[in-house]
Amino acid sequence: MNATIVGIGETRYTKWGGISDQSEFSLACEAILKALDDAGLTADDVDGLASFAGDRNEAILVAQALGIPELRFADMVWLPGGGGAPASVGHAALAIESKRAEVVVAYRSLCQGQFVRFGAGPEQVWPKVERGFLVARDLVEAEFGWMVPYGVYNATTGMAMIVRRHMHLYGTTTEQMGLVAVQTRAHANRNPRAVMHGRPMTLEDHASSPMVADPLRRFDCCLESDGAAAVVVTTTERARNAKSKPVELLGYEEAVGPRYGYAGFANHNMPEEDYTTGGGTRVASRLWESTGVNPSDVDVAQIYDHYTGMVLIAFEDFAFCERGEGGPFAEDGSLPFNTAGGSLSEAYVHGLNHVVEGVRQLRGESTSQVDGAELCLVTGAAGVPGSALLLGRTR
Amino acid sequence: MTYFPDGMIPPPVSLDTAPFWDAAKEHRLVLQRCSTCERFQHPPGPVCHRCRGSNLAWRDVEGRGTVYTYTWVHKAFVPALQKQLPYAVAVIELPGAEKTRFVSNVVEVTPDTLTVGLPVELVWDDYAELSVPRFKPV
Repeated sequence: MNATIVGIGETRYTKWGGISDQSEFSLACEAILKALDDAGLTADDVDGLASFAGDRNEAILVAQALGIPELRFADMVWLPGGGGAPASVGHAALAIESKRAEVVVAYRSLCQGQFVRFGAGPEQVWPKVERGFLVARDLVEAEFGWMVPYGVYNATTGMAMIVRRHMHLYGTTTEQMGLVAVQTRAHANRNPRAVMHGRPMTLEDHASSPMVADPLRRFDCCLESDGAAAVVVTTTERARNAKSKPVELLGYEEAVGPRYGYAGFANHNMPEEDYTTGGGTRVASRLWESTGVNPSDVDVAQIYDHYTGMVLIAFEDFAFCERGEGGPFAEDGSLPFNTAGGSLSEAYVHGLNHVVEGVRQLRGESTSQVDGAELCLVTGAAGVPGSALLLGRTR
Repeated sequence: MTYFPDGMIPPPVSLDTAPFWDAAKEHRLVLQRCSTCERFQHPPGPVCHRCRGSNLAWRDVEGRGTVYTYTWVHKAFVPALQKQLPYAVAVIELPGAEKTRFVSNVVEVTPDTLTVGLPVELVWDDYAELSVPRFKPV
């Protein structure tokens, strides 16, 4: 693509509610300014902004706060939650390729303790009750009407049922899910920025952690965090003068298949052949086709890890192994993934931190550096409509 | 019986989904069906996703099915459910409605008896203003 990543920025990461001395808005601005500084640019250079997951820090107000001279492009990705981090960078690249903008910053800031907990329906203030029903305020709330009366209030319960079906069909085990948790935790212990740094985990710790929604235990579930991240994208031409080493955007895709909807988050009526996928097979096949890269060529991956079981399924979606072989693939351990600790152990910034870590790997600056890494896959969440990026080391 | 205690959150409902809950008050399990394609669709919508026509009706379906997948929820995301833990949530496949999948609870089961493929049947759970469809083993 004629677009290149030239800057990355992150604030401190803490556990949920850990940041009360700085607003979520302030964190967004901090991450954006750090990413611009990393690129050797300033807010004067920015003419585009992109975010996802319904980020509360509206582009118009970010532009106002940062004194951006002229904002010509802003985008809020349509994919829900963690499905959209790669797409926010992809949309930035599209704006640059179409000459709509020259410097676009993708950002995500999350301090749920300062607002309503993300995705936690029951804690929201619900509107009026009529004839025993709640009046849905939008289509998504109405969609959640197929879950709420049954005690399904979050992704964990829905994804647990997809993982359970995967276990039933393919014999996937708790131990295989535990390997994902333990490997990402080991990476977090080499990463001082990680929320779980200094907190080692064994397979035994994983297996004895409290059950949340069977088969998902606490250590199968991602963290909830406060923090912000940002990624600067510009033209390949301008990238040549960047302060830090630029990273190539080799490809990006986003897609959702027929009748998928909110899938495991809602009514579970996606097609039978898609049920135990993460819905990412279309994204994956287009990405491999458009870039001409084989999965086996990938040196390192940042796989969205909301749930360990969904990581195993993402391995299958992205064709690192056959369908049903995600568990054995994790045992094999040939693909280094989530080298900063991921959402399970670094921080839950809805996966923009996965893009940041992908950039670090290709600059040779990761705390769990893969020697000579040239290609890094970054995926958005499985189990909801998602997206993915393929990043390449600049030669 | 009431499976969940008072304090349970009622379903958020739109004009497109309200007929389901109105029928439930009469203890009728209904799903949307296209009168042109003669096929069910769930969730319901403004048009048939196959022929894109709006010749849609609500049709009673038989409350027998099998467990497609399930989970036991061990954490109370709503305080009212603390005493109910763990409770079973399942995706029920309804053969009488072209294998439409329906998310609900399975009651009268234990971790030993709830399995994928378990045959289940509909039971109505009545609240003050609402009836909620749940399932129990046949």
